[in-house]
Order: sequence, then structure tokens, then C-alpha cells
Amino acid sequence: MTRSIALSLVFHSVMIILTAISLPFMMRDPVDLPPILSVDLIQITDTTNIPFAAKAAKTLEKIKKEEEKRVVSEQAPPTQKKKEKPDRIPLPEDLNKEKKEIVKKKQNPEEIKDEIRQASEFEKEELFDPEQIAALIDKAKEETAETLKKDKKLTQSSKKTSFATGLTLSQEDALKAQIFGCWSLPLGLPYHKNLLVRIKLRLKPDGTVLRSEILDHARMNQPGQGFYKVLAESALRAIRICQPLRVPPTGYEKWKDLQLNFDANEMLKG
Amino acid sequence: MTLGTNLKRFLIVILAGLALTACASQGKKGAKLAGDVYTGSETVEYLATGVKDRVFFATNKSTLTTASRDTLRKQAAWMRKKSKLKFTIEGHADERGTREYNLALGERRANAVKDYLMTYGISGSRLNVISYGKERPVNSGSNPLAWSQNRRSVTVKAE
Amino acid sequence: MKKILLFIFYLFVFNNSAKALVEVDITRGNLDPLPIAVSPLYVESGSIDIKQGDKVIKNVGEKISEVIEVNFKRSGLFNPLKKDSFVQKPDIAHVKPRFEDWRLIKAQALVTGKVKVSEDKLRVEFRLWDVVAAKEMVALAFSTTPNNWRRVAHIISDKVYQRLTGEEGYFDTRIIYVAESGPKTQRYKKLAIMDQDGANIKYLTLGNELVLTPRFSPKNQLVTYLSYFRNLPRVYLLDIETGVQEVVGDFPGMTFAPRFSPDGKKIIMSFAKDGNSDIYTMDLQNRVVEKITDHTSIDTSPSYSPDGKYICFNSDRSGLQQIYVMRADGSNVKRITFGKGLYGTPVWSPRGDLIAFTKVHKGRFYIGVMRPDGSGERLLTENFYQEAPSWSPNGRVLIFYRETKSDSEGKGFSAKLWSIDLTGYNERLIKTETDGSDPSWSSLLSK
Repeated sequence: MTRSIALSLVFHSVMIILTAISLPFMMRDPVDLPPILSVDLIQITDTTNIPFAAKAAKTLEKIKKEEEKRVVSEQAPPTQKKKEKPDRIPLPEDLNKEKKEIVKKKQNPEEIKDEIRQASEFEKEELFDPEQIAALIDKAKEETAETLKKDKKLTQSSKKTSFATGLTLSQEDALKAQIFGCWSLPLGLPYHKNLLVRIKLRLKPDGTVLRSEILDHARMNQPGQGFYKVLAESALRAIRICQPLRVPPTGYEKWKDLQLNFDANEMLKG
Repeated sequence: MTLGTNLKRFLIVILAGLALTACASQGKKGAKLAGDVYTGSETVEYLATGVKDRVFFATNKSTLTTASRDTLRKQAAWMRKKSKLKFTIEGHADERGTREYNLALGERRANAVKDYLMTYGISGSRLNVISYGKERPVNSGSNPLAWSQNRRSVTVKAE
Repeated sequence: MKKILLFIFYLFVFNNSAKALVEVDITRGNLDPLPIAVSPLYVESGSIDIKQGDKVIKNVGEKISEVIEVNFKRSGLFNPLKKDSFVQKPDIAHVKPRFEDWRLIKAQALVTGKVKVSEDKLRVEFRLWDVVAAKEMVALAFSTTPNNWRRVAHIISDKVYQRLTGEEGYFDTRIIYVAESGPKTQRYKKLAIMDQDGANIKYLTLGNELVLTPRFSPKNQLVTYLSYFRNLPRVYLLDIETGVQEVVGDFPGMTFAPRFSPDGKKIIMSFAKDGNSDIYTMDLQNRVVEKITDHTSIDTSPSYSPDGKYICFNSDRSGLQQIYVMRADGSNVKRITFGKGLYGTPVWSPRGDLIAFTKVHKGRFYIGVMRPDGSGERLLTENFYQEAPSWSPNGRVLIFYRETKSDSEGKGFSAKLWSIDLTGYNERLIKTETDGSDPSWSSLLSK
């Protein structure tokens, strides 16, 4: 008798203990979630790639090792510091890696002129001072993390080498924005094909086109490349409608030969 | 753990249990649909007293429920008595599917009925099958109840 | 030190003088419709009015330009400019357009032409001009019967479309569909055919029996469809010219979901027997029937690839409706849809690059496209109920139909034809006299 009571007690207590343990499990305290940190995703812009002539690169490296300290002091002439925007410095840019995205809105023309004027004044200073150039090169070299850009596919005329010719970043953006607005993309283009039309222009100082030439002209009449003709025509139309092109008021020799690379792939792949 | 918190938790368990029982009784309100299959008696017509003329199906399915089999057994029993009669078994689908697939689905449903009737001794030559896909709904509404009433197979006396 | 710096300087200068070319990448443009001016066609003296049935068409030159404008507008790719801003008269514009006048109104392209109408002939000449470059792009002449004046407009539209986009056009085409009316529980359905712009509607059946899913043959002469004639659902052939209908084959059960093979020689369809639907073909010449699928599942909605080598179809062999691709002889069956939801109504693009389909997921219906291997699934539009896309002959536009939700009494129900571009833009309602469903696009009539 007592034995059975004892056993009964044991089993009952086991049951009670089990339920007592399990009940609390049904109601857990809410887990303390760590507070959500707001994270700002910052685009790490590709640093400006400054393609140097191969030999110069090697020499520069030597200089850099020797002259590090000197560079720091030679850097940033006072005028530079006043103008904070990096695009005032006429460094050669890797044109595929823009920092800003100029959206469809065209820039205020007056604004642009100011920029251009200031930049070109600045340019003039730089051009004839080797010391200043060295300083700039070194500063640029510090900024670069990229390796040299090797583009052997395109012809030599397409190498974007020198910073002393050509357009500043803002000048280029202005021109791009203008042409973006003029170019009506033909919508029937096939996907996954080479949709690049390169047009070489010889411009007059006022921005009108003297001569135009479609590189890869032979492609226009190739069978199966019918879309290329349509694409090229749309590019030519864009150029014509956009005349006079938004060119800098000075430095004609630097940009009189302009090559526009119309690439429809980005718009279509989206 | 204090006694107070323990007691709270115990009460919550009991309340939850009560709530569950309440839910069970709610089931009677939606009695027209079991799972996805119509179990009501609206739209149902009778071939003879106590012999329903149709069975219902779940979405995209052609399997017969217990209730369907019960209906079909009664149909078969009655058909055996009326040995001279022939029948057309119509297969239908609801509007919530593509048209061509629904034609095939209706055909499958009608054949499920035909096969079952044949296992109860009705000769296949007396049973003709036709699918109407989603073309002839019996309920023109666009709601789950209407759709469940349209997923059906109807046995019709052949002219 | 200075020597080294000078050396670097000279390197740069050297590079300078070698090439003074600036390159700018243009990677964006605008996707606005191209502004185009369609001048009314000049009607040459001596032309007569066109009698069409009980109507008299005066000034067909103006009418043709209006049809062209509607085509352009509906394509979403062109913006036809308003006529009241046109300065030049049609006759001069066709011979020697003053491009400055047209540039003023911001036209980038200009269509001009002239017509001569006689008793039995309509002669047309048209030109497409590049207003910006100030030169002629296309110059064509052709003739037809006066009653075909609408087709003239469509042919011109196609030529202009092709020249300016690089794609073949789709304006000289017809659409066959099911015209429906009546209560939802007893819909009254007839086969109807119309021009792609909604004109020239003709009814091909009387509506006495249920008709479904009509499709054109590649040469547009024949139509295949499902008819419940005599309460026996079977696939039929209808000759559009003669109106003669004949049943396809001699199947002891329901045949449905018919299409033509790309060479027009075979009909491919489903045949349902004893609860199982398989895909069969029948040769229209020798009447030989071939069984293509052999599975206990439902296999339906077959569609050939444009080269005739493959077939995509709908099967529930995996448990739910999915899309499969197999060789035309039925071998090498591969499932291509693995996403969430059901997939149905696969139809291969005439370009061969895509398969359009209907998808059902969480109670919503989608029209989408994917590559023939199942990758690149893109959903173009979503709705309460829509299905059965059909491709324009240039593979750029899809036509399909939508049904609206009805209340518990069945009120509010309608079925309408819609079209949408491959890009997902330009979703348009296609107006029909009655409700419409099951649309199918013909190939170009002029081919």
C-alpha cells in the first residue's frame, strides 16, 4: 500500500514538474533584439583612373618614393583650395566612371559657363608650369587606386590619354546632358547585340559640325546588321538636332575633334 | 519564477484551450465548404428522390470526396433500375484557370465520375462524357463560394 | 630631379600632339515617341470617289493618312503631329518638301504621298523623308483595288516602321477572336475577324454553338478552332474565303487547343480520352495522325517554335500546371518553369527568342515572357483575370484578353481584348463591337 502511494507520488510529481517546466516554455520573454542600426550605403565611387603613358608611370613611381615629403608641400596651391569641387582640376578622367549621374534635367546654362570659364583660366595656369604639373600628377597618383587602363581594342585615336586636351568633367557632363536630350533611341533594337555607334566630328568654334564620319561605316550595309543602320541614323539625327553643341568657349584646339560613342545597350538592358 | 508569473501562464493556457473549442463550433458557419469542396445543397438538382445529380471538386483536382462517392452510389443504384436510360456526364471547372487547361480538367472530372459509376455496374456504353471547361458556370459570381459550386460534374439524362 | 619632371612633361606633350581627339560616351537618350508628320496623301486629278458597300469615300488621301496616324500612335513608338500645324500642301510636299517648315513643328520624319483612284485600280506612291538630314529615306509605289485603301495605309505604316526602327512592322495584319455576349452562365459566342486597328469586323459563325480558341494558319487562309457543333467538342478548320468548315480528323473524343505548324501543313492539338489529354498532330494533306506525348497527365496548349523543331506545351505531370519544351517528335521533354505559381498557355514568339505565357499566383493572373530555356522570366502585366497571349508577327507586341470580376449576380462581367508591348509599356484596350476573348494574330498579309 505505502509502496504504491510512494510510486504514485513519484510519478505525479514527475508529471507536475514536467508541466511546470513546459508551461514556462510556452511563454517566453520576448527576445531582446539589438536596436536596428541605420546603415547608410555609400557608393564607393571608382576613383578616377588616370591613364599615364607606360614609361611615365614607372618614372612616377620612382619619384614618388623619393619625393613623398616634397610632394605634400608642393601640393594644393592656394587657388585650388578655394574651389572645393574636384572637377575644377582638369585631370584626365576615365570617362566610364563618373561620380555624378547627370539626370535628364539640363543644367542651367549660366551655371555651366561660370564653371567653364573658371576651369579654363585654371588650365592656362597649369599648362605652362612643369612644377605645378608634377604636383598635380602626384596628387592624382595618390588618389588612384586603379591600375593602368589598357584598351588595345580601339584604335589609337581613341586612347584617352592626356588631361591637357579635351574637356573637364563638368564640360563633358554638359555636352552629354545636351545630347541625351536630343537622341531619340529607336525602340526596335535587338537585345544582346553590339549597339555601339562611334561618330567622329570636326567642330567649328561655335559648336556646329563641320564634318562627321561614322566609324565602322561598313557595318551599315552588312546583312543581319540592319539595326545598325537605324541606330547610326538616329545618332546622326541627334547630333544634327543638337547643333550648336555645348562646347567650351575657349580651348578650341583641344576639343575640335570630338568623337561621340553612342551606346544604346545601357538603356535597353535596363 | 514567482508564483504570480506561473499562475499567469497557467491561466493563459486555459484560456487558449477555451478559445480553441470556440473555433471548433465556428466551423458550422462555413459548412458549405469543406476544404475547398462545396458541400451545400444550392444548385443541386435531383435525378430522382434522394438522388443528387452532381458532385463537387477541389481546385485543380478531380478526386472524389466521400460525399461524392455516396452521391454516385445512389446514382448508380438508380441507374441500374432504369436500365434503358443513357446519360451524359458533364465536367466543369471554375473560372480561375486558363481556358484550355480547364477543358481538360473538366474532362478528367467527368471521367472520374464515369469510372466510379462503372465500378458499380453501369455499362460504359450508357455513359457519355463531355467537358465544358469553364464555359457553363452555374453561379455567375466571382467569389470562392460561386467557384466551388462551379467545380462540378453533373449527370444528365441523355435525350 | 627637374630633368625627370621635364621628361614627364614632354611625354605628355608628345601624347598631346599625336592625337587631339576627345571622346565622349553617350549612353542615354530619350525613349519618347519619335515626332513624325504624316501629310495627307495628294489625290491626283481624275480620281473618282471610292464606293465601299453603302458608303462613299471622298478624299481617300486624307483617310489613308489618318489610318497611318492611328497605327503610329497605337504603336507607342511614334508621335504623329497635328495636321493643323502643317504648312506645306500635300502635292508640293510630296515632290519637294521644305524641310525648314517641317523642322519648325519639330518633326524628325515626314511621310508624303499621292494616290490615283480609277474604277478598278488604286495607285499609290509614298515617300519617307528624314527631316533632320533633309533627305529621302524610302520611296515606294504600288497598286491595288480601291476597296483595299485601308491596307494601303497599313503597308505604308509597315514600311515606315521598318525603316525607322529596324524591325518589321505589324500593321498589315488581322486579328481573329471570339465575339461574345449574353449572361455569364450562357455565353453566346461567334468567331470574328477584324483588321488589327479594329476596322472591317466580319463574323464567321452564327453563334448557334460554342466556339473557342481560333488560330490563323501561317498563310492566313485557314482558321482552326474548337466548336461544340452537335454537342461534340472537336477541332475544326474554316476557310475564310469560302466559309467552308470541316472537322479535323476522326477522333473518338474531345479534341481542343489547336494550332498550325509553322509550315501550315499540320494541326497540333490535344485529344482527351478517359480522363487523359495528350498532344497529337494531324497532317492536313495525308490525314496521318501522330501521337506526340504519352503521359497520364494533362498535356495541352501546344505551340511550335518558328523553325518547327520544338514544341512548348502545358502539362501538369509534376502535379501542377507547368510549361515544358520537347522536340517536335515528342522526345527530350524538359520542364522549363520552376517559379512559384501555375504556368499555362505557352506560345512561342515568331522570332524564336521568347515564349509568352500566363501565370497564376496567389489569386492573380500575369502575362509574361521567358526564354525558351525558362530563364529570364519577365512579368509584363497583372490583373484579376487575363490569359492567352498571342504574338504580333514581328514578335514585339502581345494581344490577350481580360475578364472583369462580377458580383454575386453576375453583373459587371465583361471580356475585352488588350495588347501590350514586349517592353511592358503601352498597355492598350482594343475596342470591339461586343465583348471579346481568345484573340489570335495573323502574320503579315502582304507576305
